[in-house]
Amino acid sequence: MAGKIAGALIAGMLVAAAPAMAGNSLVAPGSKVQVAKSGMSIRSDGEWNKLGRRLGPNTETWTIDGDELNDVTFYGGIADGLPIFREVDKKNRPLPRVSSTMLVTDIPTLFETSYRIAYDTPLMKIDTVEPTSFAGGKGVRFTYSFTRPNEELHRKGEARAAVVGGKLFLITYEAPTLHYFDKTLPAFRQLADSAAF
Amino acid sequence: MKNWGAAVFLPAAAFALLVSAPAAAQEKTGNKAGFSIAPGTARIVLMRPSVKVGEQSTGGMFEPNADWTAQARENLGKAIAATQGRLGNIVVDYEEPNGADTAAVAEYRNLFSTVANSVITYQFFPGNRLPTKKRDDAFEWTLGPDIAALPGMAGNDYALFITTEDHYGSAGRKAAQIFAAFAGVSVPTGVHKGYAGLVDLKTGELVWLNADLKMGGDVRTAEGAQKRVEQLFEGFPGRTGIPQTVTAGN
Repeated sequence: MAGKIAGALIAGMLVAAAPAMAGNSLVAPGSKVQVAKSGMSIRSDGEWNKLGRRLGPNTETWTIDGDELNDVTFYGGIADGLPIFREVDKKNRPLPRVSSTMLVTDIPTLFETSYRIAYDTPLMKIDTVEPTSFAGGKGVRFTYSFTRPNEELHRKGEARAAVVGGKLFLITYEAPTLHYFDKTLPAFRQLADSAAF
Repeated sequence: MKNWGAAVFLPAAAFALLVSAPAAAQEKTGNKAGFSIAPGTARIVLMRPSVKVGEQSTGGMFEPNADWTAQARENLGKAIAATQGRLGNIVVDYEEPNGADTAAVAEYRNLFSTVANSVITYQFFPGNRLPTKKRDDAFEWTLGPDIAALPGMAGNDYALFITTEDHYGSAGRKAAQIFAAFAGVSVPTGVHKGYAGLVDLKTGELVWLNADLKMGGDVRTAEGAQKRVEQLFEGFPGRTGIPQTVTAGN
């Protein structure tokens, strides 16, 4: 038994050590860049840091002070049948999958369920959902709030999403409710407004 | 922080363990460019420390222990009280408000811990430093200017926040370590976080931070707590060793 546990731990350590410590890079003001290995481009009026690490193969995270304080994540073209980010416990708690035929109104629920599973917490809820334009097409805008397990800090989020060519495109912003969320919200909205294909 | 899986973003503690190579030597103290306090010139309000103690399960998960946390809170409280008068400036205990303001104060304590985590992950580890935090003398971190509006802050210059979090290895975790050692793999045990930070009440900026994920001192004992407190206050701005008169509540 103990051998199995040790084996699992060792495997866990190796998995943890696997992602290369890719460097973080600067997104200069005024730059227009392709994000999340997708056809989606974003123009940034302000200065951001692009993190070297990714949540999944088609994601990319930008931040100003670190992803715990301000986190903009681009999900670029998640294909039918895939989760929005890497599985955390596929056997016991599999993540929901993107469907190419999903409605934009299904996206907030997909996102909420994915977060509840990933954080293993019920303390995640969608607060508002409304239609919006996304990169010139039909999309959805939603807001959410959550706290992480073993942490009492309250966080808020805002997201925009659409299904384009059968793939999910999603841009999320989240930050602590206290001070940080409002401070960086205009900069996030500028990025989201600039999304184009 | 999206730290829900080992293969995605890592919590600060795990990150620290992964980049513990000498090439990525961790810094432990930072202060805002140009910041200093002359001894005897400032009035500092000490926020109630955030203390968590528990066990690290075989799989590495944190399981809080109420008895250990209570012991640590008492031990650290006494050690801080004994040190408070030797910090070079007047340090008074913050009088916790009642009602809705209690939650607001708790939220600032939580935010301080999160900001300190971010400083460790994205500034103190040179290999992972954010490009915008690499510039000369860049130590730009804040809790926001509204902290000055909390009840009881008026008349004070700085707020001093302290966070400690200790995960002691369970028997199962230690057994796993032994097996892993035979396999030539390191399974680290224990997390011993200690953060002390000064926030300028005029701006909300974090002007000094001492933070380490591997602090010494077993906070469940009086001696260990004293050692931890000494480490927390290493390099405290304006510290001279000359006792100051402290009148709590004034």
